Amino acid sequence: MIGAFVEGLRANDCEVTGPVAVEDARRLLVRYARGTVALNADVPIAGLADDLDDVLLPDAPDWRARLPDAAIGITGARIAVVDPPTIALAAAPGSPRATSLIPPVHVCVVPVGDVVPTLGDALARLTAEELPSALTWIGGPSRTGDLEMILTLGVHGPRRVEVVLIAPD
Amino acid sequence: MSGTHVTTPGADFRERSASAVGDPQLQRALHNMDRRLRTAAQAAAAHPDWKARAAAVRRETLRDLDGWLDKLEAALVARGVVVHRAEDPAAARAVVLGIARRIDARTVVKSKSMATEEIELGAALEAAGMRSVETDLGEYIVQLAGERPSHMITPAIHKTLPQIRDVLAREAGTELPVDREALTEWARERLRTEFLRADLGITGVNFAAADTGTIVLVTNEGNGRYCTTWPRVHIAMMPIEKVIPRLADVATLLPLLTSHATGQALSNYVTMLTGPRREGEFDGPDELHVVFLDHRRRALLGTRYEEMLACIRCGACLNVCPVYRNVSGHAYDAVYSGPMGKVLTPLLSGHAQGADLPYGSTLCHACSDACPVQIPLADMILDLRTEVPERHETRTALWDAWARVWSSPRGYRLTTALARMTGLAGGHVPGAGRWTRTRALPVPARESFRARWGKEHR
Repeated sequence: MIGAFVEGLRANDCEVTGPVAVEDARRLLVRYARGTVALNADVPIAGLADDLDDVLLPDAPDWRARLPDAAIGITGARIAVVDPPTIALAAAPGSPRATSLIPPVHVCVVPVGDVVPTLGDALARLTAEELPSALTWIGGPSRTGDLEMILTLGVHGPRRVEVVLIAPD
Repeated sequence: MSGTHVTTPGADFRERSASAVGDPQLQRALHNMDRRLRTAAQAAAAHPDWKARAAAVRRETLRDLDGWLDKLEAALVARGVVVHRAEDPAAARAVVLGIARRIDARTVVKSKSMATEEIELGAALEAAGMRSVETDLGEYIVQLAGERPSHMITPAIHKTLPQIRDVLAREAGTELPVDREALTEWARERLRTEFLRADLGITGVNFAAADTGTIVLVTNEGNGRYCTTWPRVHIAMMPIEKVIPRLADVATLLPLLTSHATGQALSNYVTMLTGPRREGEFDGPDELHVVFLDHRRRALLGTRYEEMLACIRCGACLNVCPVYRNVSGHAYDAVYSGPMGKVLTPLLSGHAQGADLPYGSTLCHACSDACPVQIPLADMILDLRTEVPERHETRTALWDAWARVWSSPRGYRLTTALARMTGLAGGHVPGAGRWTRTRALPVPARESFRARWGKEHR
């Protein structure tokens, strides 16, 4: 199932890494980081903020002003679907919607255990509890077909979407 | 910035179509539809049983539309959403303008929404002294060009890349290359400044779930996400038929919508909003308003056009239509084009607008076959012809005369013999106007069947 998930995301122009152990994911993200990194609280890697040199957390007083200059936004997925291949982010205090929208690169950390086969499975799980104010489903980099109906990536949202899969312990 | 659309005054669908067919730039742009058609057809074929399921969900909604709307309203209000009910476009515009004035909005960012096109909201905001910026790339291009979208999914489908470059370069005030990436990059930077300073975001609604009070928006570029993330107020304009009973229904409806629209298994972004920003959250709007827009829709319930309200605005009927594919949207001179536009335009205007549209159809049923929610579009187009019969006195007189003559065997024999002798058949009947200009009388056989039968069975 994870193989199909990875294949589906790649077909949607995502870069996919893993599944890797949590500690490997931490090293990977620290090495990958450049410029200001906007980090959401839903990323399932404890203490990642302390490992990053230039980190922007949502509770920073100037978060709104600085986010447009961040180079990377890192988020954690609430759930992910194999078919159609997509990841879902839930808005929450500490995990704003814009982290996956405004920086040109979006890195999403997805625990393998949160990948379900279908959209119906995902909705059943999500509606079993209180829905978040915003649930954002992301298939890949921002795209348009408005110019002569030929796919062009990176219109308003991120040009690059990296998915890091976390293996179960 | 919201523009007026330029059409030939007084021209009807046939005349506008003729000029569209004769426009080489437009014809070049329309070639690009073939690719879309193939990928969408393939994707749509992947889930043959979903059409019936989706059609059933939409019809379940229409059987008790008011009941589902009441349920939706209650669920929205329980989550802190402000619900407004608007009978007609004027009332809907008044709601939006009222909110925009109260919050002293200067810049309004809009995500592509046919409902806001329908009520001509952009022009109303501009007239009230606000900047209204379309943020879907295609919609932005047509706004800058002072035009109207020519396709509900791909608004600038009628423009070639060099034409798009010209429109954007005029706005930029600098040279821009005829290059997809470069033009996209320029628009990204320009629109980003608009997003970051906007006070008000306006979107449509793809689906609204009555059980959870969730608004579902489908986009690819991310502009819809900006409109619902950064401005402090978000207004969603929702035609009343967008309600669905359960959020779980989107598991069927969403993939069906996007596969028929663009061939994607799912659009790049799907946004599900349940109430405004909550306590402790750092973005999302403080206020979320949903406007239920009727505009003659409720009046269709219980009529033979009721099923038109099942439409999910995927554009599949446009993409397969032999007429649309040759003339594109502007020839229809209406917000909605293609087969669904031929049905919806007369109905939403009380037959004041687009009465000639149902006549510009081949009745080939490609639209009915393509529709993911099984709306009998071609049947409705035919039915609409009886609502506003096309009047042409010479033609009516000719039909009447023909009926009288062929009612008697003598009249039939006389006229067919005459046709064989004079050679009039095979040509055009003079004096009957446009109807006969594109139609020729059949060429009669040299000898009639009756005559041959008579000879061979003597």
